[in-house]
Amino acid sequence: MSHAIQVRRAWGPVVEGEALVMKEGFSPRYDLNRVTGVITRIGHSCEGLSVKDKVLVIPTTKGGVAGGWAFFDLLKKGIAPKALVFGKLNPVMVQGAVLAGMPITEGWEEEALVLVKTGDRVRVDPAAKMLTVA
Amino acid sequence: MAAPDTHPLRLDDEESAMLRGEHGEAVRRALAFQVEVGRFFGAERFVPITNAHVMGDIEVMGDGGFGFLQSMALQDAKCRVPTDSNARCMHFDDEADCLHQDEGEVAKERQVVSMLRDMRVATTDTCINYQTVYQPKLGEHVAWGDTGTVIYANSVFGARTNYEGGFSSFAAALTGRTPAYGFHLDAARRGSIAVRLEAAMRDVADWGALGKIVGHPHQDYFAVPVFEGVRDMPLSDDLKHLGASLASYGSHAMYHVVGVTPEAPSAAAAFGGREATARMTVTDADIEAVYRAYRFVPAEKNVVVFSGPQLSIFEMQRLTELFQGRKVASGMHCFITTNHAIHADAERLGYLKALHDAGVTVLQGVCFYILQRLTEIRVENGWTNLVSNSGKLVNTITAHRFNTVLRRTADCVEIACTGRLQ
Repeated sequence: MSHAIQVRRAWGPVVEGEALVMKEGFSPRYDLNRVTGVITRIGHSCEGLSVKDKVLVIPTTKGGVAGGWAFFDLLKKGIAPKALVFGKLNPVMVQGAVLAGMPITEGWEEEALVLVKTGDRVRVDPAAKMLTVA
Repeated sequence: MAAPDTHPLRLDDEESAMLRGEHGEAVRRALAFQVEVGRFFGAERFVPITNAHVMGDIEVMGDGGFGFLQSMALQDAKCRVPTDSNARCMHFDDEADCLHQDEGEVAKERQVVSMLRDMRVATTDTCINYQTVYQPKLGEHVAWGDTGTVIYANSVFGARTNYEGGFSSFAAALTGRTPAYGFHLDAARRGSIAVRLEAAMRDVADWGALGKIVGHPHQDYFAVPVFEGVRDMPLSDDLKHLGASLASYGSHAMYHVVGVTPEAPSAAAAFGGREATARMTVTDADIEAVYRAYRFVPAEKNVVVFSGPQLSIFEMQRLTELFQGRKVASGMHCFITTNHAIHADAERLGYLKALHDAGVTVLQGVCFYILQRLTEIRVENGWTNLVSNSGKLVNTITAHRFNTVLRRTADCVEIACTGRLQ
């Protein structure tokens, strides 16, 4: 049975994809090998997993201005995530997502980190400010 | 996307003309981008800016960003306000023979620099523009890229900027304005975390450690720590390491130090009526615990790095004194990064020769953690531990799988010259 979670603010087109849920703050520079698309930070909750085509569900941000260019470059390399679903974010994530045309949301009415599991099919609908778990 | 009438972002006549393409395609694209970002954050207007700090290096832009920059150059993009550039990912000098950066990427990085100059960017290649290039005044709106520059601008100068990453700071440079959200507005600048500082603070690394203690458990762009109880007037380098660390661990963009920074003549002024959501006390023991938590992995080859942010002339002077008459030990590499301006001064003052004689490699116009092909450089040199006095660097470099260790400046020099991991 599907479950819909309201998000606070959002931008971008509707997408569907497989969720990758992180337990900690995220930075494309600190945590990600931007050549392979694999999370390489030692001890990261998603260490060894690829972000390619995933809907990333992330509690918050660390750093960093790298995201401003990084998402666009990941897209050109064919290893970009499909969408970014944040609890809290900084403006760089929005700036990077807008440049890459990648949907991005911030804030959730219910605890998405608990309700969404890695591997779940999810739908991000920014206009409706809605995250749906299949 | 929601209908425009649900978004209150107002455009003046000039902005409307920009959006219609009357100032050229580069400006139209820049303003259209800014409108999307501004609407996300509920900005109601644009504010004029006086200065921009752009971040464009091939390591983070990749071929995607490179192509985007080329398209801007073809559209004859020109900065409308004084604009400088952040640290690069390539050391163009041949002194650093252990880096072996890719020839092809080096050529692209040179093209990036050339394109930036054509766009009227002064390519200072520095993440310490606030120490060497431009010091905005209280209340002045700017659009700065690197997080360490943003938090310094907001906190120490009382200037106003958000993190403007990637295309965002370029867009602001091209339109001469930025959407008024976040730290451009009074509401975001009020303190939210009360920190009682009881530690003695003896080294820049202590300030970095403080940034980790406060930033790591409060990862929130809109959290604003307020420090009370500072004993001695902190130096610019102290506040630079505090800010860089808070921005790195906590994604923070502003802090107040009561009695030190311009918007904090008192704790009451710093909080401005906002309720503190957290209260902390930081003691000498807390600072020591940060150092103790870093563990060395036993290894023959390691690297000591003074970087992140680039070093000021006074940090260069201190390291010159500490390395005087000593040699970097076998199995150790030691790097310093700074900008071109300070590199030139350090040469004139004899610091570079003394450091070179000690076996220290000084890189200019770069920052260590953004070096192109850093993972391969680590592997080729067989480095395991990366020791630094920068609280930021030991955090930002971790995707490259170094075992990082934070130590005070003099301890870093001791480790570099003895090879003893302690």
